[in-house]
Amino acid sequence: MANGKNRFYGYIWFMLPALLLYTIFVIVPLILSFGYSFTNWDGYAPTFKMVGLRNYLSVFHDTKVLQTLRNTFIFGFYTPIIVTLFAIPLSLLLNSRMRTRNFQRAVFFFASVPSVLIVGYIWQFIFDSTSAGILNSILVKFGSKPVMWLSDDKWAMISVIIANSWRLIGWHACIYLANLQSIPLDYYEAASIDGANAFQQFKKITFPMLAPAMTISLLLIIIDSLKIYALPFALTGGGPGDATRFMTQLIIDIGIKERLIGKSSALSVLFFIILFVISTVQLIYSKRREERLQ
Amino acid sequence: MTTPSLGLMQNGKASRQILFHIFEVFMVLIALLYMFPLYYLVLNTLKPYGEMLKNPLSLPQTLFFDNYSAAFGQMHFFTAFFNSLLITFCSVLVIVILGAMAAYPVARFNNKITKAVMVYFLIGFMIPVQTIVVQVFIIMQKLNLINSHSGLILLYAAGSSFAFFMYQSFIKTVPYELEESAMIDGCSPFKTFWMIVFPLVKPVTVTLVIFESMWIWNDFILAYLFLSSRDKFTLILELYQCVGEFRLDWAIMFSIMVIVLLPMVIFYLFMQKHIMAGLTSGAIKG
Repeated sequence: MANGKNRFYGYIWFMLPALLLYTIFVIVPLILSFGYSFTNWDGYAPTFKMVGLRNYLSVFHDTKVLQTLRNTFIFGFYTPIIVTLFAIPLSLLLNSRMRTRNFQRAVFFFASVPSVLIVGYIWQFIFDSTSAGILNSILVKFGSKPVMWLSDDKWAMISVIIANSWRLIGWHACIYLANLQSIPLDYYEAASIDGANAFQQFKKITFPMLAPAMTISLLLIIIDSLKIYALPFALTGGGPGDATRFMTQLIIDIGIKERLIGKSSALSVLFFIILFVISTVQLIYSKRREERLQ
Repeated sequence: MTTPSLGLMQNGKASRQILFHIFEVFMVLIALLYMFPLYYLVLNTLKPYGEMLKNPLSLPQTLFFDNYSAAFGQMHFFTAFFNSLLITFCSVLVIVILGAMAAYPVARFNNKITKAVMVYFLIGFMIPVQTIVVQVFIIMQKLNLINSHSGLILLYAAGSSFAFFMYQSFIKTVPYELEESAMIDGCSPFKTFWMIVFPLVKPVTVTLVIFESMWIWNDFILAYLFLSSRDKFTLILELYQCVGEFRLDWAIMFSIMVIVLLPMVIFYLFMQKHIMAGLTSGAIKG
């Protein structure tokens, strides 16, 4: 470990380029968003007024914003649950001694590789509401009625959740897999000598010891779901109506298309606060759980 | 369990083996089935659109390549491909260089400034670009960086918080003696860093290069907002553009997607081992 204050000053400039870029493109915009949120700037006018909390208060009256917030929370709630529900069992299956296990892992992980835009378009075809859509083709073949996957409010949200989950399950299974591989086998040996069956072993050994992976996985997926943009953009375009419009899309629409910088900035700040609070709470809770179970 | 009879033991083992093999086949099938969206993507590019509408699930009646020639004809594939290549390469280069350099003093010294820098970068971790895109747009406008490759590269490079933290924690595991002796021999900090420390943090560099490349190559939102002329489009934007043009013909749209997917698939096949390894180390480090 180096020490000596004088020597340190020879190293300061190492940090400057990164700090400069980061400040210009991350910190300054953040400060700007706070600043503009209190104005009524429309992006064009040379001057603007301070309007206090008006932009924030208007959120409560704006049905579109409220709907978008609701969508974002619903999506950010169900996606982590569904992905985790499938990723953990999948990681157990992938933790086998099969010769094809690397192939299996690579295949499931591959769902995360294509651009989200492409994934959105493909699933748009699968969910197509006419019988040309793959899912409806199958449903019709089995004598059932086609589902209005993308033209019904409720089903559209479900479609986005399914498409996003498909994309993420393999990747998160690999996160759990990495953790699984570090669980000492003695625990299981001791447990089976004591007569525990497979399910009990999972409940008492595996699941608690997966706590670190769960912390990371949940954090990543909650943030990812809340800020989702490209997938609904390609899959539903935000529709029908505003049924699958999420915060990022709204902020961009209002800020760049409608040029209501003041309003968009207020939404940005709100969004940032929501993300910050949720991720901090999740992190604290998960870390405590990790410690409790270790 | 007392000594079992030989016959029973052998039978038990054999049936377990068979079950195991059946299960393995089952798992492989499940894996392949999981890829059904991609399977349908490729399958339907080989049918004319009419056939695709009627039978989305079946094998093509004949191999129909006209979709691909139409797609290729419309796409500015090579321009977009080279744009993506240029932007990804430059961005990753800057991220690695800037991130590693910034991490070095923070890893080696422990004072108020380094602590402040860590907290400063930590803020960036918590701010997804989606929350501030509009304000970034304003800044890019002021700096005249809209619709420029360098602008986009700088923007991608500004997200080097992640690289910073990865390098920072890894450099700490490199023994200091090597740098000490180098500096006693008269090496400047800059030289010491690049000649000695950087080669030793190769695992982080490899992981970073792979994951950042994949992320930047596939990025839509930033490229979409900050590139507006077609000759500057990345491959993803070119895809978006052409899909818009062919909105009525799924078969051609899908062909475009297959063409755009190909580079990433090839990259994945080559890098797959490193990707899995990177995930493992990343997950454990948390």
